[in-house]
Amino acid sequence: MTINVQTIQALPVISINVWSILISLANLFILYRLVRRFLFKPVKKVLDARKAELEGRYAAAEQAEQDALADKAAWSEKMAGAQAEADGILHRAVSDAKLSSEAIIASAKEQAEGIVASAEEEARLERRKAEAGIRQELVGVSTSLAEKLLGREINASDHQALIDSFIEELGDSSDGSN
Amino acid sequence: MTEKRRLSGQDWACIALMILPLLGAMLMKTLFSPSSEGVDIHGAIIFLQIELPYQPLLITESEINSWAVIIAIVGLCLFLTRNLSVRYPGVRQHIAEWIVEKCEGLVDDSMGAFFRFVTPFICAIMALSAFSSFTAMLGLYAPTSDLNVVAGWALLVAVAITISRASCGPRAYIGTFVDDGPVMALLNIISEFATPVSMAFRHYGNVMSGAVIGVLVTAALTGLTQLLLGWLPGFLGDIPFLRIGLPAMLSIYFDIFSGAIQAYIFAMLTMLYVSGSFPMAVYEKRHPKKAAM
Repeated sequence: MTINVQTIQALPVISINVWSILISLANLFILYRLVRRFLFKPVKKVLDARKAELEGRYAAAEQAEQDALADKAAWSEKMAGAQAEADGILHRAVSDAKLSSEAIIASAKEQAEGIVASAEEEARLERRKAEAGIRQELVGVSTSLAEKLLGREINASDHQALIDSFIEELGDSSDGSN
Repeated sequence: MTEKRRLSGQDWACIALMILPLLGAMLMKTLFSPSSEGVDIHGAIIFLQIELPYQPLLITESEINSWAVIIAIVGLCLFLTRNLSVRYPGVRQHIAEWIVEKCEGLVDDSMGAFFRFVTPFICAIMALSAFSSFTAMLGLYAPTSDLNVVAGWALLVAVAITISRASCGPRAYIGTFVDDGPVMALLNIISEFATPVSMAFRHYGNVMSGAVIGVLVTAALTGLTQLLLGWLPGFLGDIPFLRIGLPAMLSIYFDIFSGAIQAYIFAMLTMLYVSGSFPMAVYEKRHPKKAAM
């Protein structure tokens, strides 16, 4: 193998040299390895890392959204429950009030009826008393009338049965006339 | 978190890694360039010749510029991927992620997500081809206008195609040729050899033709200037005024536009051939779970 530096000389426009072709082939292959090592590998690594991070972010965001939705559902359920509870309380209060008012009204009615009943009772007693008084009067009147008519004294105790039957008739006729 | 805006020493090292190789290539070009007169269309300048069996190993402008481009690309990768952050990406990281995601999208669209692992290879092809063509903007000899360089790439693509064909065993490898019938089998075998050749010549031809047209137009404009403005007194007559403008426009088309398009086409064809030669039916039968991925 000899190396000789030529005097300046140029190739013809078209020439074929096997070694030049092989050098060029090796050049392209080496550049392919270098581009892969120094451009594609680092950039792909960063792109993949970014993709992974983005996917993580999306997953976290979706998780957060789901949590929020679950919270919302729970709260709306709770709110609905509260509404129902409030309704129940109100309803109960209303029914309680109704019940107590009914009780009050009932007791008032009862009381009023009692008052009326006692008043009637009293009135009846009054009447009875008055009747008894009138009867007594009648006994006296009829006794004295009879004394006047017969001219003699009538012993009240002796003629009690007679007087009683008379008053009875009187009472019956007065009752019947009433 | 506030990002540190000032560039650190390591950043400057990455920037130096991007720029210095190209400056060195330019320096070598200016030091070794043979002085030429008139229209001179030639290949790469030979810097070093090592005698090896069969053919001498030539270290030419193509190799030097290719290495400069490779080092610059690696410098760019290092510069873009410094201080990567998951949450607070800076401008550089955005650019790096954009490149990676665009390349993956391209591979997904033309090959399917199953072939995503070849993305760095496609990215390397596009970067090397495009930046090699762009070196012409610096006045350097574009490595892509050397047939040997693109032939090497096409050969590597052919290796990738063969790996793709053979990835399901020898029976499936033969099956990818003969499954479509005997006539198609013949065409398939021919196209297997034609593919790298056509890829190499397509790329080389497009870039080289641009360079040739550039040289021809420049030389023609020089002659035209001498013809029309040669009567100007003194050194004014020697200035090729008409070369202002038009060659720059041609360079924008041939070096930037055509260079980018050729890089894209080369990468697209690579993806097409590699995915097209994969025996997917056999693979799906063997690994139904993986193929569905």
